[in-house]
Amino acid sequence: MKISVNWLKEYIPVTHTVEEMANKVSLTGIESSPVHNGEGLDKLVVGHITSIKSHPDSDHLNITTVDVGEDEDIQIVCGAPNVANDQYVIVALHGAHLPEGKRIKRGKIRGQESNGMICGLDEIGVPVKYVPAAYQNGIYVFPENITPGTDALEALGLNDDMVDLDITPNRADTLGMHGAAWEIGATYDEKPKFTKPSIDESKVVDSNDLSVNIENKELVPDFLVRTLKNITVGESPLWMQRRLWNQNIQPVNNVIDAANYVMIEYGQPIQAYDLDKLQDKHITVRNARSGEKFSTELNNEDDEENTNTILNQNDLVVAAGDQILGLAGVAGGIDARVTNETKNIVLESAVYEGSVVRKAAQRHDLRGDASNRFEKGVDNGAVSEALVRATQLVDENAHASEISDELVGIETEAKPTVIKGKISHINHLMGLELSSEEIMNIFDRLGFNAELDNDDVTVTIPTRRWDMSIEADLVEEVIRIYGYENLKGTLPTGMETSGGYSPKREFSNKLRNVLLGQGMNEVINFSLMNKKEAEDFNIIGANYTKLLHPMTEDHEYLRTSLIPGLVNNISYNQARNNNDISIFEQARIFDRTEGLDRPDEIEYIAGAISGNIALDSWNTESKKVDFYDVKGIVEELLSFTNIDANFEYHATNKISNLHPGQTAEIIADGQSIGFVGKLHPDYQNEHNVDEAFVFELNVDTLFGMAKKNVQAKTAPKYPSISRDLAILVNKDIESGSIVKDIFNNGGKYLIDVNIFDVYQGVNIKPNHKSLGYHLVFQNPEDTLTDDTVEKAFDGVKASLVQKFNVEIR
Amino acid sequence: MSLNDKLKDLRASGIDDAKRAERIQELNDLRVNLLGKKGPITKALRGMKDVPVEERPEIGTLANNVKKDIQAAIEEKMEELNRKIVAKKLEEETIDVTLPAQPNKYGTRHILNQTIEDIEEFFIGLGYRVDAGHEVEEDHYNFERLNIPQNHPARDMQDTFYLTDELLMRTQTSAQEGRDMESHDFSKGPLKVISPGVVYRRDDDDATHSHQFHQIEGLVVDKNVSMADLKGTLEALCRHVFGADREIRFRPSYFPFTEPSVEVDVSCFNCGGEGCRICKYTGWIEVLGAGLSHPNVLEMSGIDSTVYSGIAFGLGPERFAMLKYGVNDIRDFYLNDVRFLEQFKGVN
Repeated sequence: MKISVNWLKEYIPVTHTVEEMANKVSLTGIESSPVHNGEGLDKLVVGHITSIKSHPDSDHLNITTVDVGEDEDIQIVCGAPNVANDQYVIVALHGAHLPEGKRIKRGKIRGQESNGMICGLDEIGVPVKYVPAAYQNGIYVFPENITPGTDALEALGLNDDMVDLDITPNRADTLGMHGAAWEIGATYDEKPKFTKPSIDESKVVDSNDLSVNIENKELVPDFLVRTLKNITVGESPLWMQRRLWNQNIQPVNNVIDAANYVMIEYGQPIQAYDLDKLQDKHITVRNARSGEKFSTELNNEDDEENTNTILNQNDLVVAAGDQILGLAGVAGGIDARVTNETKNIVLESAVYEGSVVRKAAQRHDLRGDASNRFEKGVDNGAVSEALVRATQLVDENAHASEISDELVGIETEAKPTVIKGKISHINHLMGLELSSEEIMNIFDRLGFNAELDNDDVTVTIPTRRWDMSIEADLVEEVIRIYGYENLKGTLPTGMETSGGYSPKREFSNKLRNVLLGQGMNEVINFSLMNKKEAEDFNIIGANYTKLLHPMTEDHEYLRTSLIPGLVNNISYNQARNNNDISIFEQARIFDRTEGLDRPDEIEYIAGAISGNIALDSWNTESKKVDFYDVKGIVEELLSFTNIDANFEYHATNKISNLHPGQTAEIIADGQSIGFVGKLHPDYQNEHNVDEAFVFELNVDTLFGMAKKNVQAKTAPKYPSISRDLAILVNKDIESGSIVKDIFNNGGKYLIDVNIFDVYQGVNIKPNHKSLGYHLVFQNPEDTLTDDTVEKAFDGVKASLVQKFNVEIR
Repeated sequence: MSLNDKLKDLRASGIDDAKRAERIQELNDLRVNLLGKKGPITKALRGMKDVPVEERPEIGTLANNVKKDIQAAIEEKMEELNRKIVAKKLEEETIDVTLPAQPNKYGTRHILNQTIEDIEEFFIGLGYRVDAGHEVEEDHYNFERLNIPQNHPARDMQDTFYLTDELLMRTQTSAQEGRDMESHDFSKGPLKVISPGVVYRRDDDDATHSHQFHQIEGLVVDKNVSMADLKGTLEALCRHVFGADREIRFRPSYFPFTEPSVEVDVSCFNCGGEGCRICKYTGWIEVLGAGLSHPNVLEMSGIDSTVYSGIAFGLGPERFAMLKYGVNDIRDFYLNDVRFLEQFKGVN
């Protein structure tokens, strides 16, 4: 809420600039910024139209003479339809600056001299929706006589300096001028002074025009009304109007304006109804019946049409029989609105439960000044006084003949909160050592009544600070008024703790480092994906987890694999000519046990490569990535897992979006830990990516297996002996099974088997391939003899012949 | 000619031959021819039998010296020739060092992870555990236990992705506070933990919003922690991240789970507080929210709030990285354009 300095001065002395105030208030209480209205505007004065005649060459222009407080009246040509003699108007003199860089110069309009411009409010910076309806399509006419030549911005309040408070939800007490004065006053050690409102007692009668019944007492702690009779509805005085448009509220008439004014003054929304339009003199506050209709005055888009709102039973309404007067705390209805013809009115001052108001306002898209206040709470100690104030203002401006007593639908006693605390504990929590005098002084500045008994302090909190309830609240008040800038930083003392990552996080950090070391860039993708993406690589067969109310279909399902994200990254990059991609991600996937709502969050690590692994250069030829490149990455990664197991690569054609002939499931000790493979060509096309190879591994599983203790062994000092083996075998036999068989039969000194040749084609038997292996034997404790090696080598060959029907070449 | 003279002649011609040699092979041949068993020196020494006995030792010494001298001459020449060969080879092998290298890349950690890990390591050094928590969380821990009951207006500040009525994508890493507090054994010392991770909000993605982003929550609960400790801790953090000269300031704020609550500003690292575009000419940049743990939050975890107190803070790695590196669009972090990613090589 924007706090006008001029208004604030009624309550506390103000000697600082708005910049200083905004800074100080930001540091002690509420984030604030300074506002200077009317900046850059000048030469705007009040003028009095002393004559008017039609322009001889125009059917809509008039020629006026205007007294602008100078020796001679000036002639101004005016095209506004509402211009008339004897009006007090806004005049932009020759040389005046208007908003958006507009400048007024004297000149001739259709041959007639014009020495300035008579302005509408919208032309000098008031947004048109806050301009009183009568002046929205023409010039503004002051409602009272003002000395010609007076600064028009001053007269209209449009050069007011303001402090804009950007409140947090707990500080709604400053959504009224009184609360704001308390807050700013506490900052500057100034107690605000307020005048108690009063009603002309001679007009007060004991009325029984109305009866009130509150059905949902727990949702409506306070509901008070008064009626006023024989009022004259008309325009509000200027002082009130200008305060309203400065609050972005459109002045309407002297009843509605008074209600809005009190809302700004006290933070208490007031509702006004035309008493004679009530179909039933019995007002009820009740839940709406499903399907009941209601027309509001608040129109979000189109000012011409009334919004027809369909209510449901969660809505709380103020009704006269079947007639809906208003959506409680949100908006008044059109049915009983106060118009210029209204004679008798009802003023309502009530408190509605915040969440009901909040939900109704959200549901019907009708959030406004009133609902904003009820949502966050209002001071229930000021409900009655605010009603008195509204009544007083209406009476002053619209002159009632009769004012009713306060009619109480329901009233809840406003009890101040009493908080007990200890000076020592308050100091302890702040990390300060203030004296009890200093602390008591701060409570006094805030207008809290505090009593001290040794270390114990009892603080009585006025109802206007309903955010306060516990000792910690006292701590906040003391430290912020004392000033956070005076607090010296320390570090927590106390017992030493040893910090660190969890073992699993250490493990995944290590895996990430291995991939970084292999030149892969790390990416971060979204966990939420569309249905198709969630299905594309659901290799583990996860039960899907989806959002109840997604914002878009693109972010609806929790991911079951990291691959779709990586494919998107390749696609995005390759579309931008970043063709050679090597990326990985370490993150969670979500798998739900059937029948449970909550998914398991499983850590995975996945990578993707695409494009060239080597580029054409002056000394190298380019090479496209292939399966064995990605497999090499995976093998190196797995070699760092500290897992004492053989990793086996089982060819699989079961993963639908991977190439059926270039994909392997990775098995460790009979357990699947992930896969490695090429994207299916169709999938590549669909996603506009070049040939890409991917892998994905379950980090949780790997971490569970990583138990190998490393026991140092001296590097062998005895020489090794090697043998080469060339075989011819059916092309469908996998090298992996041959290597496995070689190890099974190579004896305890066989330490390594490398494949050095794979050949298929010319000079080879059809459906066969030639494989070349290099076997290394070593005895760490002794020199091996050729005999021992030969024996083992023979065993290897014999087994291969027998099991795989190989030809030894 | 006397044997003596013969040997001297051989020496002279041998040394001369060695000096004149142009190739290693010539020297090797010379060595074999002159000094070998069939060489002229050996041959000449066969005439020793004609030499009187008393002169023999002298001749013998001379013969040895002749051999040694020739050998030395050959070796000297050999070395000279070798030097020439090496020099020639080196010259032949000279390359253009300005030609491009064979690429040998190390990958780049994602800048968000670099930012997070930099902060994690800072806190690990202060004795904090790192506890990542759950991305799918119960309403209970994400809201209720943080003093945000149903219908609390603060729930408006963060619209939530729900999975069921009870389960949601956590909107804040503060959701881990309740779990950390209730599982901590205070007899073993204070609770000091940071919870980094991914959080989710119902926001449309734009330059400053992302429906998924990261947070790091920090929490210390002990018998003696205060607002002053919070200020000192965050001062040290901001100096670690933004530079040793940084100052911080606290402004009152509101979070349901802390009381008092503060926003924390750091003095602008760009202008040093003078005022510039980055700090919107205020000299200060808002970087995180913090406060003392609300007594209700402690009590809900069974911690006596009259004995224990807590400091809690939450910061956004995206915001830190955007400020520190001048990233203008939060979406850049999630597009993973490799040109964007690779510019952050070696910043942390």
